[in-house]
Amino acid sequence: MSLRKVDREDVPEIPNRLGLAGIEFIEYATPRPQALGQVLERMGFRPVARHRSREVTLYRQGDMNLVVNASPEDARVSGTVDGQPVISAVAFRVQDALKAQTRCMELGAWGVPSQAQAMELHIPAIHGPGRSRFYFVDRWQEFSIYDIDFKPIPTVQQNPPALAGMSYFGLVQYIGAGRSAEWLTYYEHMFDFVPIPDEERFGILPKGKLMRSPCGTFLWQLIEPDPWMESGDDGPECLQRVGFGVSHVAQAVQALKACGVEFVESTRLHPEDRGALTRSVLGSVAFELVHH
Amino acid sequence: MNMLDGYGMDTITLAGSLEAKLAAMKRAGFSQVMLMARDLVTHPGGVDAALAAVAGSGLRPTGFQVLRDFEGLSGHLHEYKVDIAKSMLQMCAATGAKVLLACSSTSRHATQDLDQIAADLKKLAMLALPLGIKVAYEALSWGRTVNEFPVSWDVICRADCPNLGIGLDSFHIFAAKSSLDAIEELDAEKIFLVQLSDFMWHETPTFEERMTTARTFRVFPGEGVHSEQLADLVMRLDRIGYRGDYSFEVFNDDYQQLPVDAVAARARRSAVWLHENVLHRSAPLPTWTRQTS
Repeated sequence: MSLRKVDREDVPEIPNRLGLAGIEFIEYATPRPQALGQVLERMGFRPVARHRSREVTLYRQGDMNLVVNASPEDARVSGTVDGQPVISAVAFRVQDALKAQTRCMELGAWGVPSQAQAMELHIPAIHGPGRSRFYFVDRWQEFSIYDIDFKPIPTVQQNPPALAGMSYFGLVQYIGAGRSAEWLTYYEHMFDFVPIPDEERFGILPKGKLMRSPCGTFLWQLIEPDPWMESGDDGPECLQRVGFGVSHVAQAVQALKACGVEFVESTRLHPEDRGALTRSVLGSVAFELVHH
Repeated sequence: MNMLDGYGMDTITLAGSLEAKLAAMKRAGFSQVMLMARDLVTHPGGVDAALAAVAGSGLRPTGFQVLRDFEGLSGHLHEYKVDIAKSMLQMCAATGAKVLLACSSTSRHATQDLDQIAADLKKLAMLALPLGIKVAYEALSWGRTVNEFPVSWDVICRADCPNLGIGLDSFHIFAAKSSLDAIEELDAEKIFLVQLSDFMWHETPTFEERMTTARTFRVFPGEGVHSEQLADLVMRLDRIGYRGDYSFEVFNDDYQQLPVDAVAARARRSAVWLHENVLHRSAPLPTWTRQTS
């Protein structure tokens, strides 16, 4: 007779029904791709490839892929306000992309019809907050999806190393007042994200509700408008910024400052061991460094 | 603050154009309106013109009605209803309404399994969630499986979803002769809509009688034969901490052939009765009482 320890103690496992395994890429939409490109390059990203049929550029550093979508026929590009870039999609690595999309739609997600042209990849997607989308990618081990839809930029190194060892740490989502419980339920139900207790904090901004992906590779932060602000902070819900994990925040800050990145420094908020926040540029683009 | 701020009329009570209805409500002193999908799609200028009329009226949408027979279906029927629900949610969001009213299913094709009904309603709530919409689930007194509010509350608890709550309608509670004691079981935060109306009969034993009365002969609170129960209902809701809106869901064939201002005046009288005689909330004191010297 054999009794395995897990059976005896009935230890619950964290469910991961989509087989989530990290972030494959993050997409920005902007009608001003060159301006955003300069910002990204200061952050250590390098343009490595261009889309075969649309005005889309792939940036990369280390294991982070970032796509800049400037395709004028895409409503998420034409719908940007004052040309300010927005985070328009997050692509998750999953076990089976079609199954992931089907499962989410069975649970109540809004599907996104494919816009793939001939010979291009159809990447299943659902609608996210605001105008954003969540893509599901399952071919990230055997070969690169970018080899199909993108053409490498000649003479450019295709796998530039990450500045200061940066990697994707998480996303910050701005939500409406009193909406934390709703979005927590949404992400738990759709993606098996797990809420993190309020006592456990990362980075330098202690606000909001935190969740962890079931694969443990990234965090998701939900931030409501500040209740003390009379008005002016009740904009539409959106994916607001990307967080990068670094092992030495101070070193990363120095390296980025040398590239021309400015950081928020005030009595309330300044770069420290736990993290740092870049100054917002182009009206909407900021990044966060988090000790990892 | 306006005395009538917590009360509103439904467009279904009044005859005429959307603009005429909205203007009459405003003239009567109301600041909110319960909209119906038909208000938008039957507007002679189209949906956009209807949306502009609502926005231009300055009235806040109490909610948007009504999604019927959504839950408990399977296969192609379920897929069809999900499509309908998505269109309703998009219209609801376009009006700025934060609450979609969904009524319990009357369909013989729907399952009676409460867990499946709860799962379907959770799916509806998930569809609504990114749009910032809450779903108020209401027990129709002629619903096949869910026809009394304690059962709708049971289903909502099973679904356990923050943006899925209960919609109460006094007509259905009185028609089904549901005990008001179960109001104490409700979480006031999860009551997303309360619709009030009364009627003139003491008994409506059959589903057919309930349907006919509900669709042609409801009256405003204070005008029917259940004033005492209606006051009891409202006071119980107040006691458990409900501070949301009261909307007058009055389908009445007579009111459909009266001038809108006459009907809106009846609604106003009803709101004043509820406010002063039932909830005993006093009107603001005149300005001169607040002047220091």
